[in-house]
Amino acid sequence: MRLLVVEDDPDVGDDLLRALGEAGFVVELATEGDDAWFRGDTEDYAAVILDLGLPRLDGLSVLRRWRSAGRDFPVLVLTARSDWTEKVEGIEAGADDYLAKPFAMPEVIARVRALLRRAAGHSSAQIRIGRLTLDTVRMSVLIDDRMIRVSPLEYRFLEFLGHHPGKASAAHLIAEHLYGVADSDDTNAIEALVTRLRRKIGPDIIETRRGLGYILAGTA
Amino acid sequence: MMIFSSLRLRLLAGAGLAILVALGLAGLGLGLIFERHIEHREMRSLEDKADELLAGLRIDQAGKPVIDNFPSDNRFNRPAGGLYWQVATPKGSLHSPSLWDQSLGQTAGTPSDGWATRRLAGPFGHGLLVIERLVRPDPSNRPVLVQLATDDDALLQARREFGVELVGSLAMLWVVLVIAAYVQVKLGLRPLLRVRDEIDRLRRNPNARLSTGHAREIQPLINAINGLADARTTDLARARSRAADLAHSLKTPLAALSAQSRRAREAGASDAADGLDRAIAAAGAALEAELGRARSAIARDAHRGASAPVLETVEGVVSVLERTEAGERIVFDIDIASGLEAPVAAADLAEILGALIENAVRHARRRVRISGEIASRQIMLCISDDGSGLPDAQALIAVTRGTRLDETGPGHGFGLAIARDHVVATDGTLEMGVGVLGGLEVRVGWASGTGREPHTSG
Repeated sequence: MRLLVVEDDPDVGDDLLRALGEAGFVVELATEGDDAWFRGDTEDYAAVILDLGLPRLDGLSVLRRWRSAGRDFPVLVLTARSDWTEKVEGIEAGADDYLAKPFAMPEVIARVRALLRRAAGHSSAQIRIGRLTLDTVRMSVLIDDRMIRVSPLEYRFLEFLGHHPGKASAAHLIAEHLYGVADSDDTNAIEALVTRLRRKIGPDIIETRRGLGYILAGTA
Repeated sequence: MMIFSSLRLRLLAGAGLAILVALGLAGLGLGLIFERHIEHREMRSLEDKADELLAGLRIDQAGKPVIDNFPSDNRFNRPAGGLYWQVATPKGSLHSPSLWDQSLGQTAGTPSDGWATRRLAGPFGHGLLVIERLVRPDPSNRPVLVQLATDDDALLQARREFGVELVGSLAMLWVVLVIAAYVQVKLGLRPLLRVRDEIDRLRRNPNARLSTGHAREIQPLINAINGLADARTTDLARARSRAADLAHSLKTPLAALSAQSRRAREAGASDAADGLDRAIAAAGAALEAELGRARSAIARDAHRGASAPVLETVEGVVSVLERTEAGERIVFDIDIASGLEAPVAAADLAEILGALIENAVRHARRRVRISGEIASRQIMLCISDDGSGLPDAQALIAVTRGTRLDETGPGHGFGLAIARDHVVATDGTLEMGVGVLGGLEVRVGWASGTGREPHTSG
C-alpha cells in the first residue's frame, strides 16, 4: 500500500519512512506544504500522514485543499500542538485521526492500519436506501445528497441496518455486531446511539418497531 | 518618627502648627492695635482736659504761670488721684494738687505745634501716659511747657483683660480651625482611598484597570498605574506565550530523538535506547505539565467576561474522540440545550471538556453521557461514563497533577488534573461522584452570572 508522509523534520521524516517501510508500506516523503498538496492532488495514496507545521503552506491548508478537491484518502494528522481547539479544527478540516508529538512509532503504525481497515473491504462504493446514502469508501453518510458527519460507530450501525433491508434488527443483535459480545446494558447504549443519530440525520430515517428492533425507513 | 509616616498626620500637624503661628501673630497684632486704640482714646481725653487748662493759663509779671480756672475733674485735686497736670516756665511752675509734692519730668525737644505723647515713670510708683506741648499765651513772653498725665494702671488692666480674652478666643479658634483642617485632610485624601480600592481590584483581576474620572491631580498617577498594569499584562502574556511556544517547539526535536532511539536500538544499543526513551518520556511529561500550567494561567486572565457555547464545544471534542481507537466504540449521549453558554473562553472550555471527556472515554465500557443545565444559578456540566468508576482515594489522586491512573491508556494521564486546574483558574468548581451510568461522574460548575441561558431545549 502506498502512503505519503508529509514531515519537514528530517529525523522524524526518515524514521517514519523507515518504520512504515518495515511495516510493509510503500512510503513517499514530502517535506514542504505545497509539494505535499501537489502530490496528494495528483497521485493516489492509500493514506497520508500529515504534519501540521510545514514550511511554505501549513498542513491544515493542505488538508482543506485536498478535501475541497474531493481527495478522500484517510489522513492521520501529526502535530506538536495538543490543544483541543486545534484537534477540533483538524477534524473539521477533514482529518480522520490525530496524533500529538512526541509519539511512539508502533502507535503511528497501529493508527495507520486502523484507518486503512476502516476504508477497505467494500466492493460496492455506495448503498442507497430511500433518502439515505452510505458511502462505504469514505465511511460517510448522505441524506438527500447532503453530507452528514457521523462517527465510525454510528456509520457501522447504519451500515448494519442497510445490510438488513426490510427486517427489524433487535438491539442486542446490533450490539453484538458492533461490540462482538453484548449484555443487557448494551441495549441502552444502542438506544442512546439511535437518539444521537436521529439528531444528526433526522427523526424519520431510523424507525423503531416496538418489540422487534430498528429498521431503516423505506425498506419495509 | 513612625507617626509621621502617615500622610494624614503630617498634613494635620503641619496645618495645626501653621494655624498656631498665624493665630499667634494675629494675637500680637490685635494686642498692639488694642493698646494703640486705648492710648489714642486717653490722649483725646487728656487733650480735652488740656483745652480746659489752657483756657485759664496766663503769665504774670514775674514770668510765672498762673491758672485762673482749674480743670473740673476731681481727680486733679485728689492727691495721687491718677490725673495730673503741670505748667512750667523758666521762672517757675504750677501743678495739680494730685501731684502733691511730686512733679512731672521734663525733656528737651517738646514740640510747640501739637501734643506729643510719651510714657514715663510717674509719682507714687505708677507709670504715666503724658501729653505735653509748648504754648505761648503771650507772644512777648517765653513759652510755657504744659503737661497732662494719666495713670497707666487702667490701661494695663484693660490690656491684660483684653489679652486674656484674646488668648481664649484664639485658642478656641485654633481648635475649630484644626478640626476644619482634619475634615479637609480627610476629604482631600478620600480620592486616594478610591485609588486604593481600585488597585486592590486590579491585584485580584489583572485585566481590570483603574477608572477614569479621578481628581485632576491624581489622574497622572492613575495613568501611570494603568500603564504599568498594561505593561505587566503584556509581559506576562508574552512570557506565557513564549513558555508555551518553547514547549511546543521542543516536541518535534523529541520526536526526532525518538527516531534516534529507534536507530540505536536497531544498531544493537538497546541500553542506550532504553535510557533515551526514558529521558524522552520524562521530557514529554514535563512539557505537558508546563503547557498545562501555561494554559491555566492564560485561562485565569482570559475568562473574565468571556463565554463559550457548550453544545458546539462538546460536539467538536466528541468529533475528535469518535475517531480515536478508544472513542470509536463509544456511544456519546449528549443532553445539552443549544444556546447554553459557559462563562469561560472557548479554548479553555475545549481544554476542560476535552480532558474530561477523553478521561471518560478511557474508562467507559459503551457509553459516555454529557449533560448541561442551569440549576441554582449555576451552569452545571456533567460527564459520566459506564465504566467501573473511581474509589474516593483514587479520585483524589486523579486530580493531583503528575499522577496517572491508567498507564495503558492513550494520552499523558493528566486529564483530570489539567481540567481541575483550568476549572479553578476560571473560578469554577469540580466535583466527582458516581454517575447515572454507574461509573465516574465529573461535575463542573460556574456561577451563571456571565453565561447565557439556553433558548431552546435540544
